[in-house]
Parts: sequence; C-alpha cells; structure tokens
Amino acid sequence: MWKYLLEKEFKQFFRNPGLPKMAIAFPVLMMLVFPFAVSMEIRNINLVVVDNNKSTVSAQLIEKCTSSGYFKLIDICQSPEKAQEYMDDNRADAIITIESDFDEETGKGTGLPLGIKVNTVNGTKGSIGAQYIASCIRMFLKEQDTGTAGNSTPTIDISEKYYYNPYMDYKVFMVPALIVIAITMVTGFFPALNIVGEKETGTIEQINVTPVKKTAFIICKLIPYWVIALFILTACLIIAWLVFGYTCHGNLLSLYLFSGLQIIVTAGLGLLISNYSNNAQQAMFIIWFFMMIFMLMSGIFTPIASMPEWAKVITYFNPMRYYADAMRAIFLKGSSPLDVWYDAAGLLAIGTAVVSWAIFSYKKTE
Amino acid sequence: MNAIEIEHISKNYKTVSAVKDISLSVKEGEIFGLIGPDGAGKTTLFRIMTTLMLADAGKGRICGFDIVKDYAQIRQIIGYMPGRFSLYQDLSVQENIDFFATMFGTTLQDNYETIREIYSQIEPFRKRKAGKLSGGMKQKLALCCALVHKPSVLFLDEPTTGVDAVSRKDFWNMLYRIKASGVTVFVSTPYMDEAGLCDRMALIRQGNIIDTGTPAEIVAKYPYALLAVKGTPMYPLLKELRKLDGVISCFSFGDSHHLAYDPAKTQKENILAAAVAAGFKDCTAWEIKPGIEDCFMQLSEQ
Repeated sequence: MWKYLLEKEFKQFFRNPGLPKMAIAFPVLMMLVFPFAVSMEIRNINLVVVDNNKSTVSAQLIEKCTSSGYFKLIDICQSPEKAQEYMDDNRADAIITIESDFDEETGKGTGLPLGIKVNTVNGTKGSIGAQYIASCIRMFLKEQDTGTAGNSTPTIDISEKYYYNPYMDYKVFMVPALIVIAITMVTGFFPALNIVGEKETGTIEQINVTPVKKTAFIICKLIPYWVIALFILTACLIIAWLVFGYTCHGNLLSLYLFSGLQIIVTAGLGLLISNYSNNAQQAMFIIWFFMMIFMLMSGIFTPIASMPEWAKVITYFNPMRYYADAMRAIFLKGSSPLDVWYDAAGLLAIGTAVVSWAIFSYKKTE
Repeated sequence: MNAIEIEHISKNYKTVSAVKDISLSVKEGEIFGLIGPDGAGKTTLFRIMTTLMLADAGKGRICGFDIVKDYAQIRQIIGYMPGRFSLYQDLSVQENIDFFATMFGTTLQDNYETIREIYSQIEPFRKRKAGKLSGGMKQKLALCCALVHKPSVLFLDEPTTGVDAVSRKDFWNMLYRIKASGVTVFVSTPYMDEAGLCDRMALIRQGNIIDTGTPAEIVAKYPYALLAVKGTPMYPLLKELRKLDGVISCFSFGDSHHLAYDPAKTQKENILAAAVAAGFKDCTAWEIKPGIEDCFMQLSEQ
C-alpha cells in the first residue's frame, strides 16, 4: 500500500506540467544566476572630481582612484555646484573635492584638504563607495610617503586578511545561503500546496473513506519532496564545484544532516499551513508571508548582529537563521556539527514545536 | 440486522444547525433515497454516516459497526461517491481504479465481477486521464472506484445532479443491478421524480426528516384531493385560485397548477367556474393522483 501511495505521488509529480522542470531549473538558477544577482560587491561607482588644485599630485590621485576598477570617472569639473548638479541628477554616486593647496599639504602628516561626498539613496552603494574612496586615498598617500624619501613620519600600515573567504568573494558567501532558500521552499511549501490541492479537488475525502491511515498518506506525500530536496542539494553542490570551483570545507555529510533537520521543521510547517487553509490561494498567501519573514530575518542578506535587539529576538524563532548559519559555517569554515551544536538545537526545538502543533491541529480538523 | 441505523443525529455549524435529530433505518439490500432540496442537510448526513465527520449528538451503526468507534471497520465495507467528481484527474482510468483497489487492499481482478458491467463501458478509455473524460464517463469511473472493493453499503451523494435525462435513466438501471448483487444503496437526490425509483425513502427539509416510507406509502398519506388546472394568463390564475374557499394550496408545476382542495368544502366544477368568472380564458381542470413532489410541498407547508 505504501508503495502504491508513493508511486501515485511520483506519477503525479512527473505528470505535473511545471514541477519536474522547476526541480531542475531551481538549482541551476540558484547557483548560476542568483550568486551574481545578489552580490553585494559594488562596482561602477560614478565618480565626479572637483579639482581645484590641478597639480600633478591631484592628477595622480584621480588616476589612482579610476585605475582601481571600482569607479567610473564621469567628469572633472571646476565648481562644486556643477558637481552637486551631477549628484542631484543621480548621475554621480560620489564627489571628491580636492582643495587648491592639496599638493603642498600632502606628505606633511597634517590635515588633508580633501572632501568626499557620497550619494546614499542606495545605502549600501554609498557606504561601500565611501570605504573604497578612503582606501584608495590611503594607498595613494602611502605611495606619496615612500616617494618623498627621508621623511619618516610613522604610519600605521593596516593590512586586512579575510578569513574563510580570503578574497571576500560574495558569491561563495551566497552559495550555501541560496541552498538554504531552495531546500526550505521545496520541502515546506510544495507539499503544503499539494495537500491543499487534494483538499480542493475533494480527493482527500475519497482517500479518507478508505482504510488508509492518514499518517501514511501524509508521509507518502512528503517523501517525494524530500527526495527532490536532496537532489537539489546535491545538484547545487555539484554546480558550485564545477562552475565556481567552490567546495565544501566541512564534512559533506553534515550539510545533509542539517538539511535533514531543516526538513523536519519545514515538513511540520507545510502540514500546519495545509491544515489552516482550504484552498491553494490561502496557502499561497500564508507561504508568501512566512517566506518573506524567514528570508529577511535569517541573516542571509543582512547580518543579524547589526539588527536591533528586538529584531534579534524575532530571529531566534526563525528556523532559517539556524540552518543558514550552520550551512555557512560548514561550507566556508569547515565546522563540524559539534561546533554549531546551537544551530542544531535551535532547529530541533522549532521542529518539535511545529510538528507537535501540526499533529495536534490535524487531529482537531477531522 | 439493518444495513444503516441512525438515531437522533444532530450537527451544527457554528450557529446554523444543518441536521436536527435525525433517525433513519435502512434495510439490507434496498435502495434508500434521501430526497430534499439543496441545503437540506443531505451532504452533512452523508459525511457523518461515512465517518468523515463527527455528529454533535446521536448514534449510528453501519452493518452493526458504530460510526464513531468502529470507523476503521466501516471504511472497509462502505463505498462513497461524493457529489463532486473527486478522483485524480491526472491519473488514467486504469490507474485510478488500481489505486483505489490497492487502498482497500484488493485488486481489480479480484472484484472484477462486481464492476464488470460498468467497467466494460469505460474500458476502451482506460489509458485516458480521468480529467479528460466526459461527464457520464467520469461518473461511471467514480462508481467503479466506489465499488471496486465490493462494499456492503454504497453511499451516493447526488449522483445524478447535472446529468442529462438519458444518462440519469442509465444510472438508475445501474443502481438496480448493483442492488441485485446484494449491495445496499443509500442515494440522495434533489429530483423528486427520482424518488419513485427508490425502494424506500426519506424526505428531508431544513435538517429535518419530514416523512419516511415507500413511495406508495408516502403518496397514500396525501390528505387532500388534487387538481391540475390550466388557463391563461397562468400567473394571475395561480393567485386567483389561492384565494378561493376550500383551496388548501396551489403551486405551479411545469405547464399546469397543482391545486389541493378539501372535497368537503368545494368541487372541481366550483373551482373551474370561479376561474372562468374571474375572466381567465381556456380554463381546464382535471383530477390527478399526487406525486412525491406534491407530498413534499404539502409536508413542507406544515
């Protein structure tokens, strides 16, 4: 009987005009398109320079900035008003103002007559742009120092080293997070829609008058999506390795272990949603609501550490927070499950709560 | 032992009471009809009897099994065909039958004899997806799926709603054959003309059973004399007739009015004369025997 129920689910899955294609397209899109799209790396910052100094030193500074590759020089103009106009028209993201005594003051170690203005309508672009400009100028000054021999002003040489992601490659940071999103969607929300679909067509009634146990029916509904989720996880890992050359630094099995834990949570959540909705539209709305909160409060896109305290509290109830944290730690750092035991504990706690609630409400709706 | 025995079943949906204190018994091997308009509580009663829903009050037994405690046994021995087509549209005819046979722990081959006659009609389409069948074929498939495990009691909730006259006749012939094979059939319908086809029936209205019996018994209980009256224009005639002394009720029935009167107070001639006197043309009236619908209207009046 179990075999037949499963066979039916797989048949229906493969006969669905959209689902099998989606199962293939999902990991491909997730791995090949999204890492580029959601990159936080800022390039092509439109730069306007107000050069009041017009010396070789100022020309060198401009050269230094534009050669870094992050900036696109729009114009070198004379008046600050003209530069401001560029920014107001949204054609400039940053303005560097070089004062007339710039060449004389460099190298003296005193205050530098240089102004930076940044357009922060796009906050990320603005703040990162300002950092880039500052580091360009710092590097420029260092070169100037060594140029003027004999001048031994002590300078602090700050060199940054990025651990676990040495080139600050945003894509490698996003790969495990995108796997997290894919697994959550496939194992939680597809089965919810499937169960609600059976409610809508009335077939669940027809099953209920047969001697089939409800648990058997539901578990057989979930299993195909678990298989698909594991397929997607594997496909994502293979694509990440083939295309980007990223490999998991930790044990591959621990990735599957945490995915398994997440699946328990999402299965409960999917069942819960299907219990409380009578048609696919209702289910879609609830799914959309949860998915938004899960993604934005998970630390996938913005670090949890920079959230206000009350928002941090909300993230403790978000299973995706734990799953994403664990996946990144394992993938990038090579952590073992013991290192991220708290993530496992969080997932287990939420999983237990959600699954028991789902079973309880499921019994009540009979 | 009766096939179905329910006592004092009640069910409320929040403030609406769908089924009120219903008691019924259905003998083994008969076709029992539950006749009533939409919203009378037929489907609720079906869902309670097929163990899909719990009643707020009352007891019930299907073939001796309690509808609450022994629901697992009941599910082995009943077949249920809901009003709406609810099989898997994306599975083929064959796959649907095989699937439901397996769910009941049997196979099509084991019970082939039970459904042979119906199945033979859809067999040519067995590779076709259920969703792509015509309405009549879908119904036959649903019936096959409900019968594939050779149930003792077959529940059919409004099987003929939305089915054309010829297919309805076909369907009832199938029911007689199913009955002949020893299956008790419990069928609901909003069509009064199908009531006469049942062995016994119950009339249901607003959650109450208003009468039970064989069609002949119910018709025999009709207390008044009945006339069919025609005349032009029809609608003002209806209102005029209702005003007459000795007329109990008058309803429009297709192309004539059915008029119930008290023979002690008035006669056909008086009624006809009154209609002519009121200026209606082409007036005719003739005595008729009451049908189930007349009985239903009369019982609803009370």
